[in-house]
Amino acid sequence: MKHSLLKLLPFVLSAIFVSAQEPGTRVPSVTFAPTGAVQAKPGVTTNVQLDFRVGSDFHINSNKPKSELLIPTALKLTATAPVSVAALKYPAGEDVSFPFAPGEKLSVYSGDFSITAAVKVPARAPAGNYPIAGELHFQACDRSACYPPRSIPVKFIVSVNK
Amino acid sequence: MKRNGLVFIALCAAIILMVASGRFLSRAGRSRVTTLVGDVRGKAAPDFELTSLDGRRVKLSDYRGKAILLNFWATWCSPCKVEMPWLVDFQKKYGSDGLVVLGVAMDDTDAPKISEFAHEMGVNYPILLGTDKVSEDYGNVQFLPTSFYIDRDGKFVGKGVGVITRKEFEDNIQKALASRTAGNSPALDAAATSKPISPQPAAQ
Repeated sequence: MKHSLLKLLPFVLSAIFVSAQEPGTRVPSVTFAPTGAVQAKPGVTTNVQLDFRVGSDFHINSNKPKSELLIPTALKLTATAPVSVAALKYPAGEDVSFPFAPGEKLSVYSGDFSITAAVKVPARAPAGNYPIAGELHFQACDRSACYPPRSIPVKFIVSVNK
Repeated sequence: MKRNGLVFIALCAAIILMVASGRFLSRAGRSRVTTLVGDVRGKAAPDFELTSLDGRRVKLSDYRGKAILLNFWATWCSPCKVEMPWLVDFQKKYGSDGLVVLGVAMDDTDAPKISEFAHEMGVNYPILLGTDKVSEDYGNVQFLPTSFYIDRDGKFVGKGVGVITRKEFEDNIQKALASRTAGNSPALDAAATSKPISPQPAAQ
């Protein structure tokens, strides 16, 4: 009995929170999945996969939207010297048309997507932890409206071992 | 058994607490995104003074006696782009009846780029450069596009968030035009000094 009630608790509470929200009050969420310390060797460039998730029912422009007016998703990272970010590789967007413009396709990310950062460690880099931090800039829409552009923080640590 | 009873009571207490906090959070949310939930109908539209693309200072109260379609948009908003040809048509179709379409661009982009975009879209109505203040005064406009329909007396007759149908636009325009012009437009005089829209508990 006790266990049954406790098992039901999360569902009951979730239902209450959902019912407290009214249509149009949802704010698009884009989240960064924390990355554990990235192991790297001096003199080697390591590809780091950074995982993001766009909340359900929302999409954001890809890094290469089909119009220059649309705001591209862009990651800016600053590394701690002597480590550096040599390149960023964005996934291709998914071409999707939406009810508001059935004849037009937009290049978007939705659900889960990953950006790969090529982290370069010089041969003479001392062993240690080197934080890399920055932000993902994006602009989200749902199927009928758009939200202003915003940014979320992105941070991970590169652990250099000899 | 006694323990089960206590668990049950604790669960009930937790539910009551969560319902109360959920309602509180919902109300708190409204104070930040009131545009999305508040019913503005019957309220006086807050006056504003914004700069148009051609550099003029434009007040809402400049249009006293006119029906206003106030459309918040941005160049980066694809759904907004869909509505613009309709707004052009509405200005042509209802302009002689007293409708004025006003676009409020919420871009951070500089005016020449907005102007170029508006020109490409064939916009035939004034585009004003939006500010945080006008957004806040109109209930913290977050969703774009958002349109407000203001009657000849300066009161809201409707609001649309996100892309709506052409028919919904026209129904609201008809409502705005249907209002009689008050002699001295006291409501618009009031609008000129009215306070920003406050959150409303009732959904539209």
